[in-house]
Amino acid sequence: MTEYAVRIIQLSYTYPDGTRALEKIDLDVPCGERIAIVGPSGAGKSTLLLHLNGVLQGTGSIKILNQKLEQSGLREVRRQVGLLFQDPNDQLFCPTVYEDVAFGPLNLTVPADEIQRRVDKALSDAGLNKSIRSRSSHHLSLGERRRVSLAAVLAMEPAILGMDEPTSNLDPRNRHHLIEVISGLKATLIIATHDLELVLDVCPRTVLMDQGKIWADGETRKMLADSRLMDAHGLEVPLSLKLGFKSK
Amino acid sequence: MHIPDGFLTNRIALSLDVVSGAGILYAARRAKVDISGRTAPIMGMLAAFVFAAQMLNFPVLGGTSGHLIGGSLLAVLLGPLIGTLTMASVVIAQALFLQDGGLVALGANIFNISAVTCFSGYAVFKLFGKRIIVEGKHLFLAGFFAGWCSVMVSSACCAFEMGLSGAIPLHIGLPAMLSYHAIVGIVEGMLTGGVLKFLLKVRPDLMKDEGGTGFGIPDWIGAMLLVAIPVALLIVAGSSSLPDPLEKLLGATPIASGAVPANPLSSSRIGDYMIRSAAFILLVGLGILVSRLVRSRRSRS
Amino acid sequence: MRHNFIDRYAALDSPLHILEPRTKLLAFTALIVGVLSIPATNGFLFFIYAFAIAIMMGFSQVPLNYIVGRALLLLPFILLASLAAPWKGYLGFGVLFVRAILCLILLILLTNTTRFAELLRGMRKLGCPQILAMNLSFLYRYLFVLTEEAMRMKQARDCRRTASAPFKEELKLLSSMLGTLLIRSFERAERMHSAMLSRGYSGDFPVISPRKFSWHDLAFLSVVTLFIVSTFCFTNR
Repeated sequence: MTEYAVRIIQLSYTYPDGTRALEKIDLDVPCGERIAIVGPSGAGKSTLLLHLNGVLQGTGSIKILNQKLEQSGLREVRRQVGLLFQDPNDQLFCPTVYEDVAFGPLNLTVPADEIQRRVDKALSDAGLNKSIRSRSSHHLSLGERRRVSLAAVLAMEPAILGMDEPTSNLDPRNRHHLIEVISGLKATLIIATHDLELVLDVCPRTVLMDQGKIWADGETRKMLADSRLMDAHGLEVPLSLKLGFKSK
Repeated sequence: MHIPDGFLTNRIALSLDVVSGAGILYAARRAKVDISGRTAPIMGMLAAFVFAAQMLNFPVLGGTSGHLIGGSLLAVLLGPLIGTLTMASVVIAQALFLQDGGLVALGANIFNISAVTCFSGYAVFKLFGKRIIVEGKHLFLAGFFAGWCSVMVSSACCAFEMGLSGAIPLHIGLPAMLSYHAIVGIVEGMLTGGVLKFLLKVRPDLMKDEGGTGFGIPDWIGAMLLVAIPVALLIVAGSSSLPDPLEKLLGATPIASGAVPANPLSSSRIGDYMIRSAAFILLVGLGILVSRLVRSRRSRS
Repeated sequence: MRHNFIDRYAALDSPLHILEPRTKLLAFTALIVGVLSIPATNGFLFFIYAFAIAIMMGFSQVPLNYIVGRALLLLPFILLASLAAPWKGYLGFGVLFVRAILCLILLILLTNTTRFAELLRGMRKLGCPQILAMNLSFLYRYLFVLTEEAMRMKQARDCRRTASAPFKEELKLLSSMLGTLLIRSFERAERMHSAMLSRGYSGDFPVISPRKFSWHDLAFLSVVTLFIVSTFCFTNR
């Protein structure tokens, strides 16, 4: 029997101002799988990610690693599910990089010497130099900031990692570097993105969302090559597939 | 309006430090901010907002420029206690980052710029009715007067402190500060009113909760006491030791003796005082005239 | 935009930089109080204090031209206020001016030898309420983010504006800009809050302090105390 990292059944969510963001979402993600959630802006991708660790709570049921997500177990769930936000400025709120990366482990009451080790490991996993530790986030470039955010999430050693547009606004070199880092991660990955080349590189499975619903769920290469489906939901077939590159 | 170190005597500066410190501790306890909730990040972000908003200035007259000060706006949005705390962090940051205002004078600056603006602004705003935010009638007017009054009261406090310290005599400082800030206050008032109106139009939901802290009668009494005590302290400290360093100067050096009466408001000074304030007002008027002229010429060309 | 105008030299490693933040906060406050209580007639004491401050400036490794530059930036206000001083003799003006400048230099030294994060830890340990410390830490972090946003809005406004609008229009425009900035700040605060929750935040803002109170601090504190006490004795003689 397969172990499921995430099982979502009939999840719906309406924002306080009345906007319906999610409508009866069903999604299963086996452990260790890497899936992409693609769709136009406003499709509900970010909202879905925010449900994974209970920041937002809609109706329906969510199971994380076979544990039902409930108010009482939120601490445990947040240890398991890390979220990488789209704007690193929202995620790095401490005066220095070190404190930002240590913030998660400190909240999980990890012992002090362990924190040191985790911060170092997370920074090197995210492809960052040790010397960055004492710097302030506002002195960093966007690429560095995004990687520090990733390190801050990795320091919690999550089993499941949700990412919101990890490659947006990055220049090609930084984007490439980040994709390499992501490919090297061991956690179950759920990536919400417009960057279809990233999806082709990293995720074998793709879910297509639009207007708060799931429209398609299947193998990445097949789905992204379907030009009618892509067009209908405001996306386009990635250039590399059109031209026949990246054939395995 | 930020007082640097050196312009207040130790007695006044330190007693205001104590008052502001106690006030902040009281506010932090009384405001009962749920630290795990949203209020803490919102306070921090709004503090940064006030700091950033002060960079968005625009020409008022001649060379000077005006910008939002923000105390009354924060008080209306967050309630006076949380508003005061938020403004206090702005004032502390201005001292530490930009050296704008001194370290020992920090208590005085927190008192003038955060506590006084927030409480006076809030009080004036509430004079326009309890449900003014919900109804939205006269919102601009209420915001305008809240902003204007907060700036005036705050600058008067500043002038009093400087006067009692013997740095700038009251009969020069008070009219100068008040007439200058009467104009600054207009800008502050219009911006406060304008922003409130804008918010009501675009995101009325942000204005409903006021940070969740009601401000009851006991709090008002507490606040009055908090204001009354330092004023009394100041007057006592000031009158007993008015020119504590400067008195020695006068006693010791013949250069400046004789010309200075012991009481800064004695009758021989009143003529001088009227001339000075008249000159100042004339100067301001001239400034307005010149800037109008420049503007009308520019628009014609 | 330059981001390091706030604590540009705070990351150096001088004898002043390695002190514990609490030590520095207390010592510098005491020194400023000391400067403020120098009697106006005592030129010699002013000289002694200036000398002591100069020595600290030397030790701090903060470049002299930077300190002077920062002090010059605030000079106009101090000059103006000093000129309004009542006892119009040159001495009264001079005393006010020198006092203000000495205090200003002390403050510049304090903020440029201590990282802000450490200053905050020091304040927190000295009894500053947690909510205020958190506020300051967020302010420090988001100051640049919001300022950049504000500057972009200002640029966009300046691009669209051809002639200067009447005063009232200008104010209306500015208040809608401020309103927009305010709403964005609110929204960013909400996103930040969810980011904090996602990393297990439950109301405790952890403090990590790399610096411990050491013999350096003891030495510095005792020297400063000795200095101030001796100048006081000198005054009263």
